[in-house]
Amino acid sequence: MTTKPAKIKKPIKLSRLISKTIFYMFIVTLSVAIILPAFFLVSLSFLSTREAYNYPLPLLPTLKTEYSMTFGDRGYLISVYDNFEEEYQTVLDTSETEKITVYMRNQLGTPYTIPEIEEQIAKLESGAEDPVYFSARKNIFLNYISFFQISRDAVPALLRSFQIAGLTILVSLTIGGMAGYAFARYIFPGRDALKFSVLFVRMFPGVAIALPMVIILANMGFYDKPIGLVLVYSVGSIALTIWITASIFMGIPESLEEAAQVFGATKFQTFLRVTFPLALPGLAAAAMYAFLGAWNETVSAIILTQFNPTFPVVVYQALLGAVGNVNLAAAGGLVMAIPSLIFTFIIRRYIQQMWGGVTI
Amino acid sequence: MTAAAASPAKRFRDFGSKAIPYLLIAPVVIYYIFFWIRPVLITVIQSFKSAAGTFTFQNYVMVFTDPNFIPALRNTAIIVVFSVTLEFLGALFLALLINRKFFGSSFFLFIAMIPMALPAVAVGAMWLTGFTAHGWINSLLYYVGIIAEGAKIYWLAGSEWKLLALIIVIDAWQVIPSVMIILLAGLQNIPEETIEAGYVFGGDYITVLRKITVPLLGPTIQTAIILRLISAIQIWLVIVLLVGFSRMPVLVERIVYFHEEVPALDISPLMASGYTIIVSVIVSLAALLYLRVSGAFGGKKEAAQ
Amino acid sequence: MATLKMQNVTKQFGRTVLAVKDFNLEVEEKEFLVLLGPSGCGKTTAMRMVAGLEEVTTGNIFIGNREVTELPPRKRNVSMIFQNYAVWPHMTVYDNIAFALKLKHTPKDEIDKIVKESASLAKIEMLLDRLPSQLSGGQQQRVAVSRAIAVDPDIFLMDEPLSNLDAKLRVSMRTELKAIHDKAGATTVFVTHDQSEAMSMADRIVIMKDGEVIQVGSPDDVYHRSRTIFVADFIGTPPTNFFDVSIQKESDGTHLVNPHLNLKLEPEMAKYLNGYNKDHLILGIRPENILLVDEAKAALSASCLVSEPQGSHQVVAIQLDDNIIKAVAPAAPKIAAGSNVYLDFKQATMRFFDPDSTLAIND
Repeated sequence: MTTKPAKIKKPIKLSRLISKTIFYMFIVTLSVAIILPAFFLVSLSFLSTREAYNYPLPLLPTLKTEYSMTFGDRGYLISVYDNFEEEYQTVLDTSETEKITVYMRNQLGTPYTIPEIEEQIAKLESGAEDPVYFSARKNIFLNYISFFQISRDAVPALLRSFQIAGLTILVSLTIGGMAGYAFARYIFPGRDALKFSVLFVRMFPGVAIALPMVIILANMGFYDKPIGLVLVYSVGSIALTIWITASIFMGIPESLEEAAQVFGATKFQTFLRVTFPLALPGLAAAAMYAFLGAWNETVSAIILTQFNPTFPVVVYQALLGAVGNVNLAAAGGLVMAIPSLIFTFIIRRYIQQMWGGVTI
Repeated sequence: MTAAAASPAKRFRDFGSKAIPYLLIAPVVIYYIFFWIRPVLITVIQSFKSAAGTFTFQNYVMVFTDPNFIPALRNTAIIVVFSVTLEFLGALFLALLINRKFFGSSFFLFIAMIPMALPAVAVGAMWLTGFTAHGWINSLLYYVGIIAEGAKIYWLAGSEWKLLALIIVIDAWQVIPSVMIILLAGLQNIPEETIEAGYVFGGDYITVLRKITVPLLGPTIQTAIILRLISAIQIWLVIVLLVGFSRMPVLVERIVYFHEEVPALDISPLMASGYTIIVSVIVSLAALLYLRVSGAFGGKKEAAQ
Repeated sequence: MATLKMQNVTKQFGRTVLAVKDFNLEVEEKEFLVLLGPSGCGKTTAMRMVAGLEEVTTGNIFIGNREVTELPPRKRNVSMIFQNYAVWPHMTVYDNIAFALKLKHTPKDEIDKIVKESASLAKIEMLLDRLPSQLSGGQQQRVAVSRAIAVDPDIFLMDEPLSNLDAKLRVSMRTELKAIHDKAGATTVFVTHDQSEAMSMADRIVIMKDGEVIQVGSPDDVYHRSRTIFVADFIGTPPTNFFDVSIQKESDGTHLVNPHLNLKLEPEMAKYLNGYNKDHLILGIRPENILLVDEAKAALSASCLVSEPQGSHQVVAIQLDDNIIKAVAPAAPKIAAGSNVYLDFKQATMRFFDPDSTLAIND
C-alpha cells in the first residue's frame, strides 16, 4: 500500500486562529520586554557621546553625521544636525583645527583628519559656499576602541580575565573531576560527609573567604596576582564541578568500564580510553560553567586586586566614575557580556539537564 | 577461601584499589582545608579579636550599633522576600508557558535565558544608563507617548521604598531565567500521562495546575526558592552602581564599603569581618535548610543511588 | 454505557505525518473492542482522540448521540487507564480514586461508598490509605483500574495497561479486567500490540497498520479469515506460513506449485481462483493445519531443521530456501532433526493472497 504523505487542508476555525494569534502576540511582547534593556545597552555602546547625553536617547545609532561650518566669533562655527530637533545646533566655535578634529572624534564618534577639515575650511574661505555642509561617517565601534584606550588597564585586564578563567577551568576540572569520579564510582566511608561539605561550600558566600584571603594570599606572595584569584575562584568552582562530573560519570554505565578491563585494560587505561571520551561533552559543559563563574565574578576580584584588576573590575570602576561617558562604559560592559552570552548559548541544554538530571 | 596467603604483590594491589577513592578525593580535601577552612576560621577568629588582639565581642557590638546595620538588615530582608516571591511567580509562569512546547518555544527559551547570561557589571551598566534622568527608560517612555517631552521621571531620587521596588524589579529581570530553568526541569520530570490523567478525570487547566502540577513540583520549588534566597541575601553590585555606597545599605554592600571605600579607618577591618560573619551565618542557615529539605543529607535519595 | 462512533477521523502531526488516516469505527454498547497493531500504527493516537487528549484534524467523534469532537476530556464522560498507570504520587490511593468525584461535588458519604466499591472490585480495598510509592507495579495498576471504574463512564479507554506488568501478572490481570468489564457492563476500547492479548479478550479486533484499519472482525474472523498477509502474519503464534506458488492447471485439476511443493487443490478451494487472473499467488496456512502424513500423500517433503517440544505437541521447523516453515505435530513420535518429514495441508483452512495487493482472494 502506498503511504504517500498527503497534505490535508485543516479546516480553519476562526476562534482557534484568533486565540493562536493572541498567544503569539503575547509571546512576542514578552520577548521584547525581556530583551529591551539588553537592546538599549547594545545601542548605547554604539552611540556617540553627544548622542548618549542627548534626551531623548536615539533608539538607533546614526551611521553618518551632518555638519555645517560657517564663520564664527572665534574662528569657525561648527554645527551638528540634530535628527530629533531637525535642525543644526552649534557645538563649537574655534579656530584650532586640532580642537575640531578632537571634538568630532570624541564627542561625535566621527573621526576626521586635519587635512580633511582644512579642505572644508578652504571651501568656506573661498567663498564658494557659506555655510559649508559636509558629512562624516561614524565609526560605531569607536566606543569600544576608546574604552580600551582610556582605561589603561582595560586590555591587560581583559587578558588577565581570560587567563584566570582558563586556569580556573584547569584547576577545577582536575581536582573536581577526580573527586566527581570518586563519588560516581565508589562508596567509601565519609562519602556522605564529603558530599554534604562540598554542597555547603558551594553555597557559602564567596565574599566571606575573600577578606581573609587577602592576608593569606599576601603571605604567599599571590595578592593582586592572577594566581591568587584562581585559587579563590576554584573553591566554588571545584564544588560545582564535582556536582556536575559526578552526575556525568554516573551516567556512564559501569559495565562499559568492566568490559574494557575484561579485555585487558588497566583502570587508568580504561579511564583514558573509555570513560573520558564518553564524558567529554559533559566535561566541556563543566568547563564552560567554570569559565563563566570565573569570568563574571566581581566581588572577590574587587577585594583581591589592586593594580592588576580583572576586566569586570575595570568596567565596575568605569561605571562608578561614569559621570562622563556612559556609552564607553556600556561598550565595556558588552565586551564582558559577549563571551558570557556565547558560552551560555552553547551550554544551554546542559544547564537544563543539570537541574533535571542531577540528584543530590 | 584458599589457605594460601595472598602474595605481597596482591596485597599491594588490593590496597591500591581500596586506596583509589581516597587518592581521588585527597586533592579536594587538601584544597578545601587550605583555601576554605583556613580562611573561614581566620574570619571567625578575627571577628572576635579587638584591635589590640584580645578576645572580645566588641566588634559585633559595633556592627549591631552601626546606624546602618538595621537599615541594611531591613533592606536586605525586604529585597529577599519580595524578589524571591516575584521571581518565583514569574518563573513559574514562564516555565509553564515554555513547557507547552509551541512553535518557536526553544527560541523563546534562549531569549528568556539572555538576562541570566549577562555578567553583573553589564547588567549594572544597563540599568544605570536606564534609570538616569536622561536614560533610555525615560526616552522609551517618551517615544511611546507615556510622558511628555520635557517631563522626566527621576527614578533614582525619592523614597527608599521606591528605590527598593526598583531594585526588586531589576533583580527579577536578571534572575527569573535561572529560576525558570529549575522549574522547567522539574516540570519536564513529571510524566505527561500523570498530568493528562488529571484532565481525563475531570480537571480543567487551573484545577490540574493547582491539584496536580504544583504539588508534584514541590521539591523543585523548594530547591529553587532556597537557592534564590541564598543569592538574594548577597545582592549588592547593582545597588552600588545605581546609587553608590551608603545610600541604600544592604549587608554585602557594607562589607565592600568597609573594605574598599574606607579601608583606612580603624574600625573598617573589624566592621568588615563582623558583617562577613553575619552574612555567612544567615546564608549558612539557609544552605542548611536547603540541604535538609532536599534530602541531601543522608536522605532517601542516597539509597536510590 | 454508550456507543462510540468515529467518522472519517484523521490525525495529522506537523505537515506530513499522518498518524491516523480516515478512521471509521462503530463500537456497540458493552462491547470489548481491541485496537491491535505494531508500534506506530496509530492505535494509541486514535484512542487519545476519543479521550480528547489529542485534537482531531478532520472527522467527528460521537459518544452515544452526543458529538464530542471539540469537547475537552472532562466533558466527555470517559475514563482511561494509562500504560504507565499515571497514578498521582502525592495523593493516597483513596484520594486518587476520589479525585474526579470530588471535582463533581459528589456528597462525601457517596464518594466514600463509590470509592470502597471500586476498590473492592479491583481488590485493593485494604490499600486505601497508602501512597503509590508504597505499592508494587501491579497494585498501582489496580489503583488505576479502580479510579477508572469509580467515575462510571460511558466509555472505558485502556492504553496498553498490561504492558508494564511481568508476564504472569499480565495473564491473570487479563482475566480480571475482562471480568470487571463484564460486571460493569461497560463499553471498552482497549489498545495493545500483543496479539494473544487481543485474541483472548476482544469481542472484536481492529487491526491497524500505518494509521489505517486493515481488518475489523471477531478473533475468529481475523484468525481464520485473515484479510491480508499482514494480518495472517501478525495474528497467531507461531504465525501463518507463507508459500510463494504458481498456479498450474493440469489434467486432473488445479495445482499450486513451487520448487518444494506440489499441491492438488480440492474443487471447493479451486473455485476461489475463478476470478483470479494472475498465475501466481501467496499461499498461507497456519502451523496447526499442516499435517504429518505418509510419503505417498505428501504435498511437500523436506528435512526437519529442529523440533521444539512443547509438552502437549511439538513444533516442527523445516527450512525451505530462505523461509522457515513450522508445523504442529502430536507430541509423539518425536521428530529428529535432519529426518525427512512429509506434509500435507488441511485445504479448507488455506488462505490465498494476491502477491501485489496482499489481499485475500478467498473472499
